[in-house]
Amino acid sequence: MATTTSTPPSDISAPARPARRSARRRGDGRFVLACLLPALVLFVLFMVVPTVNVFRMSFYTWSGFSPDMRFVGFDNFTRLFEDAQFVRAFQNTVALLVVVTVVTMGMGLFLAAIMTRQRLRGRNFYRFVLYVPNVLSVVVIAAIFSAIYDQQNGLLNGTLRLLSLDGLQQVWLGNQEIVLWSVAIAMVWQSLGYYMVLYMSSMASIPEELYEASGLDGASPTRQFFSITLPLIWQNLRTTLTFFVMSAVNLSFVLVRAMTGGGPDGSSEVLLSYMYKQAYTNSSYGYGMAIGVVIFAFSFLVSLLVSRATRREPLQF
Amino acid sequence: MRRSLVLAGAAVTVLGLLTGCSAGEDGADSGKTTLNVAALEGGYGRDMYTQVIQAYETAHPDVDVQLQISKSIEDEITPNMKAGRYPDVVVLGQGRKAALTETLVKDKALEDLTPVLQANVPGESQTVSAKLIDGIIGNLNTNPYGDDKTYLMPMYYAPTGLVYNKGLFEEKGWEVPATWDEMWALGEEAKKEGIALFTYPTAGYLDSFFFALLADVGGEQFYTDVMTYKQGVWQTPQAKQVLDIATKLLSYAAPTTVGYANEQDFTKNQQSILDNKALFMPNGTWIVGEMADAPREDGFAWGLTPLPAVSEGGKRYITTSVESVWVPSAAKNKDAAKDFVAYLYSDAAAKIFAQSNAIQPIKGIVDSLSGENAEFYKVYEDPSVTALVGGFASTAPVPGVDIKATLFDTANSIISGDKTQAQWQTALDDASEKLRQAGG
Repeated sequence: MATTTSTPPSDISAPARPARRSARRRGDGRFVLACLLPALVLFVLFMVVPTVNVFRMSFYTWSGFSPDMRFVGFDNFTRLFEDAQFVRAFQNTVALLVVVTVVTMGMGLFLAAIMTRQRLRGRNFYRFVLYVPNVLSVVVIAAIFSAIYDQQNGLLNGTLRLLSLDGLQQVWLGNQEIVLWSVAIAMVWQSLGYYMVLYMSSMASIPEELYEASGLDGASPTRQFFSITLPLIWQNLRTTLTFFVMSAVNLSFVLVRAMTGGGPDGSSEVLLSYMYKQAYTNSSYGYGMAIGVVIFAFSFLVSLLVSRATRREPLQF
Repeated sequence: MRRSLVLAGAAVTVLGLLTGCSAGEDGADSGKTTLNVAALEGGYGRDMYTQVIQAYETAHPDVDVQLQISKSIEDEITPNMKAGRYPDVVVLGQGRKAALTETLVKDKALEDLTPVLQANVPGESQTVSAKLIDGIIGNLNTNPYGDDKTYLMPMYYAPTGLVYNKGLFEEKGWEVPATWDEMWALGEEAKKEGIALFTYPTAGYLDSFFFALLADVGGEQFYTDVMTYKQGVWQTPQAKQVLDIATKLLSYAAPTTVGYANEQDFTKNQQSILDNKALFMPNGTWIVGEMADAPREDGFAWGLTPLPAVSEGGKRYITTSVESVWVPSAAKNKDAAKDFVAYLYSDAAAKIFAQSNAIQPIKGIVDSLSGENAEFYKVYEDPSVTALVGGFASTAPVPGVDIKATLFDTANSIISGDKTQAQWQTALDDASEKLRQAGG
């Protein structure tokens, strides 16, 4: 969150009139407060209150409509751990989080390094092409991937047939062992460009002299990447990692909902889609909110761990 | 001085923002009753509602009917309902993904509409119940708590059975199977021609299939037992037989079925019927309109059949989907709402609805049908075929237990070999038992 600092007015004659100045400062404070108030009210109303409500509701059973709510303490949570479908959704979420993060980060860094360091011809075009998926709505992405993954006339299976690799053809959205990875690929495709552009901008700000000097010392491009580029964009990398944990949880929900609906038979269910199903389709609002609390705690914990594990002394250039 | 002006300005802004949020209280007070009607825009379109409301308003000048209609009506009325602003009449059946009707049933938040049945249709001399066809009232679909009180009035009814291409059967000289043995024989024969016996759009469409099959195998009492979660009902030999038949049928499913059985691609499974790649799929009368623009093989004609009988000459049931109209008990104008609901069964309204292919369960209406509709509603004329209405009984919600998902979605895993029939049966038994405990 942004913090606002109110600097005292640079009035030269101020030290001579301390009383006047403090009155003025109080007035400033009031003004700042008045300016902040609308945003603060909205923030509390639409962010803080609902969040607190999620926690409160997770201790109740409630269908979502009826006036009668029943307090059940931790029942919803103990039930969660006996719910095989919840465990499966949790596993799927973790798998997506790990795989998609690693692949997107890795590929994003690699592409960004190539595009900034290797002076690739037409890199503006590549950047544009890779960034486009980020602008598309998820429904469009789902439709695109439905066309790609189509088991009969899909782009993927069609290409495999063309290359006489018929044995590699798959029912991408129907095979329960593959469907999660099909979703993962769509997620990587969607977010790769965004992170690449972020990394490119921070790589571009690294002074050229560092590369020239190390080049004279005989450092290879790979060595330069690991010894110069990576340490210097480390802070940026940490921030994006935290972003990523949050957005991956959300993105997996919308994509799963639009592409597979959690199917076949729950094999691509993720935490948020399962929460939605329980809260709205199965009229178990309190149970859904308990899942929400788990998601909250989980992403909070992961972000914290990621942030702790990647803490380094910031390097300056 | 200037500062206080600025402060005042800021305060005005804040107030403006806050009042902006709370604006929108309705203050229409012109002596007219405003009746809020919410309806699902299904395959029948929205024009019929506008026309019926126009006709109603002409007959009742003191009522102003506001129609809210949408393909996802639940999403639009739910936020207002949570804030206490309920529509007066809602036309929305059970079995939707959002399960709004089911939720209100579980909450006992619906108005008892039994008096509407006894009331005269406005402008006519018959009561509503006298106009309705026999057997349409009194099942779990209309009386969700299993007593003699009707909370959900049946709005449109439609047979859902196995849809097939009549043209293909004529061309090949095949008979539509009347027993499951004939079905398996046909399956083998079709396999030689490279045609799969069975497919389904998504696993959710198997509802009509399973309901009919349960009744075919074990009779109506067994069906009711399953729907009301009788203890140990899934361990009975009848339940085993149902799953046996289902598992065998699923082994004949088109190989593309599971891959397309999602919201995005389900029409591709439906297309395989039009392309003569699969013979049967569970579906309803709306399929004609839904696939109207789809390419098809020469000589294609829609056909609809009940499930084959378990033994020769056995009784066959056809699952009949019934859309519902209901009044929330929190509605403001309940009396006006009930009058409006009764009007929906008038001859004038029925005619308007039928023009859009929305067929109401009113006596004598089937004779006036033509085209595919005549073909589809003909299934009720077969004396060995009985209409089967209803669905799983409502219970208090049980977190993590969704017996419909367990019964239908597992079909995907049966086809892919991910789960066995025994696991299916155990899961059903488990879910049914949990729901029984919640309901009892």
